[in-house]
Amino acid sequence: MSGADRPVSRDESIWQRNDVIIGLAMVAVLTVIMLFRGLPLVLTILIDAAVFTIVTLSLNLEVGHTGISQFGRVLAVIAGAFVVGAVPGRLLAFFKGLPYGASYADDAVNYKVVPELSDLLASSLPLSIGFLLFCFLLAAVAGAAVGWLTSRPAIRLKEAYLGISLLAFGDFFMWIGHNWEPLVGGTTAVFVPDPFRVVWGSRFEVVVIVAIIVALLVYLYLERLTKSPFGRTLHMVRDCDLAAAVCGKDIVKIRTQSLMIGSALAAIGGALYVIYAGTTTAIGFTRLTWTFWPWAYMMLGGIGSNRGVVLGVLMLTVARTLIITYRSSLFGFLMAWGIDPMWLEYTLMGLVIILVVLFMPHGLVPAKVESILPADKVRRAAREHGFGETVGG
Amino acid sequence: MMPAWLASGLVYASGLSLTAGGITLLYITTRTFNFAHASMATWGFYVVYTGTVLYGGTPYRWLPLAFLFGALLGVICYLALNRLLLYRQANTITLMMSTLGYDLVLLSFIQMYCDYLTYSLKLFPRRVTMSVFDIELFGTSGASIILPLTAVAVLTLLHLFITRTKFGTAMRATIENSLLAGASGINSDWVYMMSWIIGGGMASLGGAFMAMAMTGTPVLGMTTIPFMFAGAILGGLHSLYGGILGGFVVGLAEYAGVYFLAAQAGSWVLGYRMAIPLLIMAITLIAFPQGLAGAWAPMVSRLRGLRRRGVGA
Repeated sequence: MSGADRPVSRDESIWQRNDVIIGLAMVAVLTVIMLFRGLPLVLTILIDAAVFTIVTLSLNLEVGHTGISQFGRVLAVIAGAFVVGAVPGRLLAFFKGLPYGASYADDAVNYKVVPELSDLLASSLPLSIGFLLFCFLLAAVAGAAVGWLTSRPAIRLKEAYLGISLLAFGDFFMWIGHNWEPLVGGTTAVFVPDPFRVVWGSRFEVVVIVAIIVALLVYLYLERLTKSPFGRTLHMVRDCDLAAAVCGKDIVKIRTQSLMIGSALAAIGGALYVIYAGTTTAIGFTRLTWTFWPWAYMMLGGIGSNRGVVLGVLMLTVARTLIITYRSSLFGFLMAWGIDPMWLEYTLMGLVIILVVLFMPHGLVPAKVESILPADKVRRAAREHGFGETVGG
Repeated sequence: MMPAWLASGLVYASGLSLTAGGITLLYITTRTFNFAHASMATWGFYVVYTGTVLYGGTPYRWLPLAFLFGALLGVICYLALNRLLLYRQANTITLMMSTLGYDLVLLSFIQMYCDYLTYSLKLFPRRVTMSVFDIELFGTSGASIILPLTAVAVLTLLHLFITRTKFGTAMRATIENSLLAGASGINSDWVYMMSWIIGGGMASLGGAFMAMAMTGTPVLGMTTIPFMFAGAILGGLHSLYGGILGGFVVGLAEYAGVYFLAAQAGSWVLGYRMAIPLLIMAITLIAFPQGLAGAWAPMVSRLRGLRRRGVGA
């Protein structure tokens, strides 16, 4: 699944590259949507795509680059979402002398307190920006902590065992969120103070721009990280952990680091999502949406390929949104039976996973195989050490 | 007279033992961790529900149909998906992901079916209390007597099938060493197919059982799949009987644990009931990172005086 066994072809023209074609096609589709349905739908697609890009890229770091079967992505997303739902609002409330204890999450108190806090944020731009950055920082710390905690018992396990334990941890956190009301209100939502109130007239546009910037930063960071020596170490652990151990790499430590970085990024995605939505609803963070869908996006894009992941997210987000938008005109025959075409989203995701597994195991944009040393360097080194013509011809 | 927690606990545990047994069977024959067990179990529940609501009578007469439907779903999964991947020698994660895709497709069909039932037949299939269709036996709910006995009967039949028939012997041979079994003329294709039939059937039957103890919803299987895995892992993913026992222990421990903890600490414990199976699984995995297979196998072989080997061990 790692895509490591694919031959490299270097002399591709730019018009033969899947990523270029798909990227341009996506831009075209978005333009058409904008012309026919207006800007708001495009913005909805973009914000969804940005949030899921962050989450899926973080998943790709763990699955595609490190070889950890992460079936508990929802856990870190929840960590980010819950901590942003629970902590920054309480801090503000504490400084303003409003109720900040367990009663903060009580829905009768919460819906009065949070608008006051939002008004406070709306009064000052630096405060809003500071609040936003603080939320991201807090989420990243919480995510990293959760990543470290889950890695302790789980990291020594192999493949499917590891996947299933991570899945179980994710579910466990989800249930805590559903049941422990003082945290984020249990089954009722907790409102999050809105740092975008400052730009009230164009809130949606600004949120989308901020989300895209964050997603872009995460992408650039991961591109750098996975091409750095650390990234090559991750690939080594993924491809052959025994060889990595022989080379003196501490496999458990490297996997833990990967889990912590990935979880911190996923938590930022969760934080961004709740700040955008304005509420933290524990019930909305399900294994299906925040673990399985990122897996589908990643598999379509190409496991281990950061660029592929971005395109996979964009494609499937567009497809999902179009199903919802055109459900009555395209799938009216289903509605005649009382069936909500919304469920076709599930069918689509399932089919994408099945078809990718069967026919396109490396995804749309397969990960490139990077040789650790270029061939000419190997040859030169061989010549210097007297192996001459026997290596590399 | 059985206490209420024991009555529903027995029903739930029987269901979980069937599903965990199915997961174990599929894992030891095809190396596949079957995520689709979730939706197969839910489909089993909806087959029984539909039959009971439309044609009346007790839910029990629809159990064979639930088994057959699950077996059909299993065969489809094998022929369309699992078979191709097994021929390609796909790795465990790929096999697992393929069943996840199948599970999502099945889940979407469940949701559409529920919409259809709501719309055309004016039913309420999204929150079903199956126990209202139950009968009373010996002063307690019929399910708590009939379903555990059914589970025992099914498992006895399965045991006889595996140990006494020629095909069962072929299955065991393939599990022990598929290469040697193939060399001696056993068609592993049929063995894999049969394990999907049995595994799928057990999943649906187990789902139908569990719905008698809890609220039946379209995500019945989706919520309980970690517990099915917990049971299978506790059983060691090594022998079918281990999985069956593991599922039973996990299911009964959840009901018993919640009952006694709630009596001690108050009813808030009820919301955290799923912590018990997950904790059992976590402890098992921490203590025995390769599952209980490594820990139980020597004990079992000492007890039975014969050496068993897991596939790929």
